[in-house]
Amino acid sequence: MSGAKKLGLKQRYAHMTRGLDWETTYQPMDKVFPYDRFEGIKIKDWSAWEDPFRLTMDTYWKFQAEKERKLYAVLDSFAQNNGQTGVSDGRYINVLKLFLTGISPEEYQAHRGFAFAGRHLRGVGPRVAAQMQSLDELRHVQTQIHTISHYNKYFDGLSEFRHMHDRVWYLSVPKSFFDDARTAGPFEFMIAIGFAFEYLLTNLLFVPFMSGAAYNGDMSTVTFGFSAQSDESRHMTLGIEVIKFLLEQHPDNLPIVQKWVDKWFWRGHRVLGLVAMMMDYMLPKKVMSWKEAWEIYFTEAGGSLFTDLARYGLKVPKYADVATAEAEHISHQNWAIFYQYTHAAGFHTWMPDAEHLDWLSAKYPDTFDKYYRPRWELWAKLEKEGKRFYNNALPQLCQCCQIPMGYTEPGDPTTIAFRSSTYKDQKYHFCSDGCKDIFDNEPDKFVQAWLPVHQIFQGNCGGATVPDVLAWYRMNVGADNMDYVGSPDEALWNEWHAEKLRKAV
Amino acid sequence: MSHALTIEPIGETISVADGQTILDACLRAGVYLPHACGHGLCGTCKVDVVDGEVDHADASGFALMDFERNEGKTLACTARLLSDVTIEADIDEEPDQQRIAVRDFTGTVIALEDLTHDVKGVRLALSGDTIDFQAGQYVNLAFPGVDGSRPFSIANPPDKNGHIDLQIRLVPGGAGTGYVHRTLKIGDKLSFTGPYGRFFVRVSRGGPLLFLAGGTGVSSPRAMILDLLANGYTAPISLVHGVRSQADLYGDGEFSALAERHANFRYVPALSAEPDDSDWRGERGFVHEVAERLFGGLFEGQTAYLCGPPPMIEASVNALMRGRLFEKHIFTERFLTAKDGVDKPKSPLFKKI
Repeated sequence: MSGAKKLGLKQRYAHMTRGLDWETTYQPMDKVFPYDRFEGIKIKDWSAWEDPFRLTMDTYWKFQAEKERKLYAVLDSFAQNNGQTGVSDGRYINVLKLFLTGISPEEYQAHRGFAFAGRHLRGVGPRVAAQMQSLDELRHVQTQIHTISHYNKYFDGLSEFRHMHDRVWYLSVPKSFFDDARTAGPFEFMIAIGFAFEYLLTNLLFVPFMSGAAYNGDMSTVTFGFSAQSDESRHMTLGIEVIKFLLEQHPDNLPIVQKWVDKWFWRGHRVLGLVAMMMDYMLPKKVMSWKEAWEIYFTEAGGSLFTDLARYGLKVPKYADVATAEAEHISHQNWAIFYQYTHAAGFHTWMPDAEHLDWLSAKYPDTFDKYYRPRWELWAKLEKEGKRFYNNALPQLCQCCQIPMGYTEPGDPTTIAFRSSTYKDQKYHFCSDGCKDIFDNEPDKFVQAWLPVHQIFQGNCGGATVPDVLAWYRMNVGADNMDYVGSPDEALWNEWHAEKLRKAV
Repeated sequence: MSHALTIEPIGETISVADGQTILDACLRAGVYLPHACGHGLCGTCKVDVVDGEVDHADASGFALMDFERNEGKTLACTARLLSDVTIEADIDEEPDQQRIAVRDFTGTVIALEDLTHDVKGVRLALSGDTIDFQAGQYVNLAFPGVDGSRPFSIANPPDKNGHIDLQIRLVPGGAGTGYVHRTLKIGDKLSFTGPYGRFFVRVSRGGPLLFLAGGTGVSSPRAMILDLLANGYTAPISLVHGVRSQADLYGDGEFSALAERHANFRYVPALSAEPDDSDWRGERGFVHEVAERLFGGLFEGQTAYLCGPPPMIEASVNALMRGRLFEKHIFTERFLTAKDGVDKPKSPLFKKI
């Protein structure tokens, strides 16, 4: 009677989930799944998809419910104990502003993108995985909006995050990245967000913000980081599984996947320039330099990944060498852009103090003193003389990444890089060979880009003057924008600080 | 004090030291458990504790929920054993694996043969005892006056289990293999433990089999092929055995005779450093190059078993993958010597190749 062998985890999962899918009969499968063929990806056997997590929805709900309860308990106690007064410095809040206005809305876009992939991939395995990730991303954006709502009670620049996301010039950088991914087919979306963003580059986004929070006393963000990590590891595994699956299914998939990896690596690298600037300039207590982070998380970790991927014939992304060389420069060049346009940015800027300058010299011994320190010292001098430098001209934007064209030529940090392509008698401009290549591969897509500066000139952004445009952004002028020194944020921080000192005496 | 850890569904039992994590113990014993962050935050290495008690240690409250702790789950990367423990982990079940307990044996050298100028054939008789093993497994051999033990694959098939045949190459400067080549003589007694290893033929999968062997790495495939043919395996079996030159080739007479008797067995010796002007009429090149030529570069549909030094394995895995044979269908046994250092950093792309 006995002797029936207990099933293994994998078999139990297979029995619980098998037969959830079916072949349609009164409509052809190609009509039910209209989007999984046009990209040219060939799938011979959907059942070869390995679900590495074997998570049933029942367990998913239980797990996430408890996680949310714990997270919100921490967020509540942070709020009740006025945790915001305990961070390292008032400047730190600008890191949160950048993350919460630049990245959080993209969590929502990721939610929608994975919902799309979860609907339109023909195989049941990846469909379930994409749907779970879609729910994760929705939870993440909710949590972050709770955080916005807390910090918004005290600090400027967060109140119109949703409105600003579709309008403000630098927020168009991450927005256009996700718009591009979401208007691609389901396979490209999975490579773009699942592999390139959630696997290849995720540590360069996630680790700097979370360890930055830990170093600077922001326990609510740290707790969010912990709570998200079990999701992130699932997302990373999904990204890895996607690329293996596509490469193993058919040799014709390789050139398509290679093109996507090239494209999304470069697009991701451009978006991460914001993180670079955050690490090197905005954290009051530094974790590591952007260059160090790039070496650990891209050069080393990415190196071993691409050594393994080479077995499939996949090459290191095009221009990875350029990106690595740029790690010397990108944070400084980005901070320079934001400093010049501080009147149009929804967070505060400042010139680094002497100690901070020395830290930068130590971290960038070959470049900082030569190319960037003199500029910061000049700008600081001008500030002292009451002649703080603002750039009042609107910048030219890259048609692809939408970043102002302030980056320099590879190997020549004193010459601005300009690239252009002519398409249907119109000239389009790019910050780099990487961005130009992306355009040249899909010109019909990128000519439609909504470029904030072009839109201002075309009269679509509230008017012809800077105040008109800022009003259209719903920028609370004098509070949301401009330097930290002299801002209402600073005044509030100083008041809290004085209060603490009084109590301590 | 150490505790015993039994890992289901493979049924392997290993010893876990005080303070050692389940994950560390498993990886060191060659049992791959899925894992990622390594310090209790991500939850990738979650396992079921079926029996016994563990300390969850630093497992994050977000990665290992209270309800999961109540259900007997733990994170392998932080959990320490408080008693003997049985876990159930997310490991592929192997229907072809036999559960054979590791034992201590003493064997008497009853034959010593120079297979080549630097490979000795050693036969250890068990004098009345027998050893259960699966073709492809290995034993850990101890030598008098030499620290530690050395792994050697069993070259004979398991139906002849009153002895074990080993093929031992002299590693330049190697203490263990030096002992075998210089000191060992007929009548000596050697102690060993075994059988070890998860390198065995997945017979139940069926289909054509491809064995790629480098040097004495042919010992496991010899046992496996003899076993398969004796048990009437009918699908095609190919063996490519790579050595440097004719002087390094051994076993070719036996394999050629087998190939004549069995239409489904093909034997291809490959020489990588044979002088151009020699009388060798067979294949030249490295194992993976010869295999690519034989199969026109396309390996889809095969199941491959690779046994030999790490560079040969690496080159062969690359060739197989170029030929569209992927991890699920590739099994490897790496012959490491005491000199082979730590593996280079690996991405999580592959588990075992």
